[in-house]
Amino acid sequence: MRPMTRQIIGLGLHSAAIIAFQLSLMQLISIVQWHHFAYMIISIAMLGFGASGTLLALFREKLLSASGWLVPILMTASGFFMITAFQVTRLEVFQFDVYLLFVERSQFPVLAANYLIYFIPFFTGALAIGILFIKNATQIGTYYFSNLLGSGIGGLIVLFMFGSVYPQQVPPLIGLFSVGAGILSSGRRLIAPNISLGVVSVIIAAYLIYQPARIETSQYKGIAQAMNLPEAEIVYSKPDIHGLIQVAASPALRFAPALSLSYTGEVPVKKNIFVNGNFFGVIPQFREGQDSHILDYTTQILPWKLAKKDNVLMLDAGDGASLAQAMSHGAAHIDAVIDNGGVVQMMKTDFAGQSGGLYLQENLDIHVLEARNYLASVKDREYDIIMLPQQESFGGSAGINALQENYTMTLESFGLMWEMLSPGGMIAISTWTDYPPRTSLRILATLVETARNKGVAEPSRHLAAIRSWGNISYILKKQPLTPKDIEITRQLCEDLFFDPLILPGISPGERQSYHMSDDDEFFANVDRILAGDKSFLEDYSFLISPATDNKPYFSQFLRLGNIRELSGIYSTDQIPFLELGYLIVVVTLLQGTLLAFIFIILPLMKLRRSHRGKGGTLIYFGALGVGYMFVEIILIQRFVLYFGHPVYALSAVISTMLIASGAGSLTSGRLRAIARYPASIGLIITLMLLFYTFFLTPLLQESISSPLPVKIAVSLLLIGIPSFFKGFMFPLGIRYLASYDTSQTPWAWGINGSLSVISTSLAMLIAVETGFMAVMGVAVVCYAIAAAVFAFSRLFFRQKTTR
Amino acid sequence: MRLAIFLLLILILGSITLIADEYERERNRMVRTQIRARGINDRATLDAMRAVPRHLYVPAVQRRYAYQDRPLPIGYGQTISQPYIVAYMTEIIRPRPDNSILEIGTGSGYQAAVLAEIVAQVYTIEIVRPLGEQARSKLEAQYDNVHVKVADGYHGWEEHAPFDAIVVTAAAEYIPPPLVEQLKEGGRMIIPVGSPFQMQQLMLVEKSEDGRVSTRSLMPVRFVPFERDN
Repeated sequence: MRPMTRQIIGLGLHSAAIIAFQLSLMQLISIVQWHHFAYMIISIAMLGFGASGTLLALFREKLLSASGWLVPILMTASGFFMITAFQVTRLEVFQFDVYLLFVERSQFPVLAANYLIYFIPFFTGALAIGILFIKNATQIGTYYFSNLLGSGIGGLIVLFMFGSVYPQQVPPLIGLFSVGAGILSSGRRLIAPNISLGVVSVIIAAYLIYQPARIETSQYKGIAQAMNLPEAEIVYSKPDIHGLIQVAASPALRFAPALSLSYTGEVPVKKNIFVNGNFFGVIPQFREGQDSHILDYTTQILPWKLAKKDNVLMLDAGDGASLAQAMSHGAAHIDAVIDNGGVVQMMKTDFAGQSGGLYLQENLDIHVLEARNYLASVKDREYDIIMLPQQESFGGSAGINALQENYTMTLESFGLMWEMLSPGGMIAISTWTDYPPRTSLRILATLVETARNKGVAEPSRHLAAIRSWGNISYILKKQPLTPKDIEITRQLCEDLFFDPLILPGISPGERQSYHMSDDDEFFANVDRILAGDKSFLEDYSFLISPATDNKPYFSQFLRLGNIRELSGIYSTDQIPFLELGYLIVVVTLLQGTLLAFIFIILPLMKLRRSHRGKGGTLIYFGALGVGYMFVEIILIQRFVLYFGHPVYALSAVISTMLIASGAGSLTSGRLRAIARYPASIGLIITLMLLFYTFFLTPLLQESISSPLPVKIAVSLLLIGIPSFFKGFMFPLGIRYLASYDTSQTPWAWGINGSLSVISTSLAMLIAVETGFMAVMGVAVVCYAIAAAVFAFSRLFFRQKTTR
Repeated sequence: MRLAIFLLLILILGSITLIADEYERERNRMVRTQIRARGINDRATLDAMRAVPRHLYVPAVQRRYAYQDRPLPIGYGQTISQPYIVAYMTEIIRPRPDNSILEIGTGSGYQAAVLAEIVAQVYTIEIVRPLGEQARSKLEAQYDNVHVKVADGYHGWEEHAPFDAIVVTAAAEYIPPPLVEQLKEGGRMIIPVGSPFQMQQLMLVEKSEDGRVSTRSLMPVRFVPFERDN
């Protein structure tokens, strides 16, 4: 095999390992901590790309002259660090907890150590790639193709691994790819350190794969709390593409959310299901002919008392208890939509007996996909009850899910639900009460606006809500509530010690018969929303307006502009615990910006005197870094809705983008390195993205209910075509630079990598604050700028005049 | 030689006295600035808060923060509550010297110690064994009216029921029916609701003389009512 062929294959293998390692690390950190924190660490780790570019810029000649032995050993070293990094962070001295970060200063150095440990494999890996790119700048198209193709395949391989091996076994497996790449790239010039490191890596990897260490989660995660209980044990554990599924059992694990104080029976012991260490639901114990259920003693009984039960739709019905309740009320037919196929499979097989065969009942149809996708794709069905899962969590979730897109809880989604209701049908939803009130008010605002959008003049005649000490359950009925409905609701409250919160003709005194509150403002706020007071929604200290498809962040309540006001009311130390998730993204952006400044701008200033015309490089490659990531994030969001599975959407988008871009980059080798090409291709991409800004969503909506092969074809076209063109931009730019000033190529690599890191959190912030349209708008502007840099190349690249 | 040892002993004792005095000063300051200033006026509660050495109930690494105005981690996902919350929960159940009180969730043992300063008997249950054992060794060395059991608090402590008040420091998603059952008519149960370190909203459960059970969500006085700008 020719040395160049070996290098190109090695590069592909190594690139596959880097992206797979990134995804596996996110998965592991999500299990140990929470997903938004994984995001924070990865953004730091990815700065390894930026730092490698800086190192290359500073020591270009030395690094390139040593590339023959350095690149293989960097790849092997990167593999070694991939294999060991996670295990090292699990050593007691490096263990930290995101919850404690805000109360113990000693956590900060530990966090910094974690950053460093995760930074190293990315830095060494990226340095190897950077050297190869710069050394072979004239054949960058081929090398970039290998890099992108490898990355695309790496994304798919890791998904396969998630479904087949335990999460802690994935990095050792992946690290071996880079070790292999290092050995392969060495060719016949194998050197002892590389061989030794390779052998050590293989031995450690084999041990970690064969003897996977137990993952210790944060002491504040649901599974850790469950395992503190007497006789607690994990009775089931299985890796799945959606995350690690575990079932915990203990005689002290009971399930009765916000149980009525009138209940005097035994609270049933239940096994709890956890996904990535977070509570997912319980193993229900269904018995045919069962005529009551523990949930009948919670506010969730309300729809079952008021509605017909011929056809029931249960969305995100992962909590098997709600399904069992529906069965016990004699629902004639139930459609249950559950996105986690692993849990469904587990319930149908391993726990079929213990759950009384609940998931195998003839009158139950289980649809494994996202709830919103089901709503969008099903036609001509009518339901008497559409039941949504309980929102929030007991004691508040501290904004953990703030940045989780939730297309089920948008206004558009509720509009679809309304259309599916039978004439007497109703939408039912419950929530834990939170303080300060946010979720409960946003649900109400969503229900009220849904009714108004459907032409209901007085939504309050269609709405009822009851309240216990910890829960509120709402129903929105398609027809106005009847006097009988009102009477039944009042009687229910009396029997179970609940209070009506919303009911036609309700008197103020009724609202606090059993459950009083010192905060009367809550009731006044409920009335303001019922009255359609839009100014109240806009003025409230938290975001409580309905979520929309453009901003599908139902659990994001924080207004950045209100932090000072909230600090005044609740004290500054409480703010992180009110809305932790969103703040972490802000912190991620700030730290990413700071480090990008240290790694890019400062060294650039140092070299300013020696080279001119760096402005064009900075703007062009910076714009590409931001634009590429923004488009990727938008496409992932849109295709989550389209495919109904976040994991599939992620793999479809990332892999198609990377492979199509790789093809573009390979093709770019046929074009001459002159300014005209990046300018005109940049313009084509800009126009395409502009088209997508307005027409991507309608195009996807038109074909959302098509058969899967059609949807795959549509997604390949919509993701692939612009990605193919985007693949031209980076190598054309590099070759153009290399043709007159080779010292600038490392900059291009570093700038592109670092701005990609910043843009992930920046895109998220823009999406949360202004919506997806704005994110796409920024991407359009970025590609327009990139095109303009080459359209006016004389202004930006002074050393050469081109046509 | 003897003189040197003697002087060393004097030095050690002097240091201990100084440190002890420092803790007492911090405790008095805590009561004055964090508790009385926020409206806790019950004399028995204030005396108890002054008397119990909170620093002995926090992990050694946290000791220097013991009298700060915040909760502290004690391991196993549990916390020792902010001093004000402990005082507020104590005052709100209206403890009397002849009372018998049940606590669910011993945790560090601090809340039980504060109650033991005021009432006749404190029965406290902890489900996490290591926490329960640690608290038992501290509490039973200091108080003869505190009884610690490592068990599932769901069942309460039937042998000693009914209780004048119940303090649930580790809230669950449901209020166990046996606890409601073991609360005396006219008794009060207090439950904090909130994630670790988070501002906790307190809930008071009252059982009337006729057995009717109701709740009240309390607003700790530290927090002004949640209002908009206007």
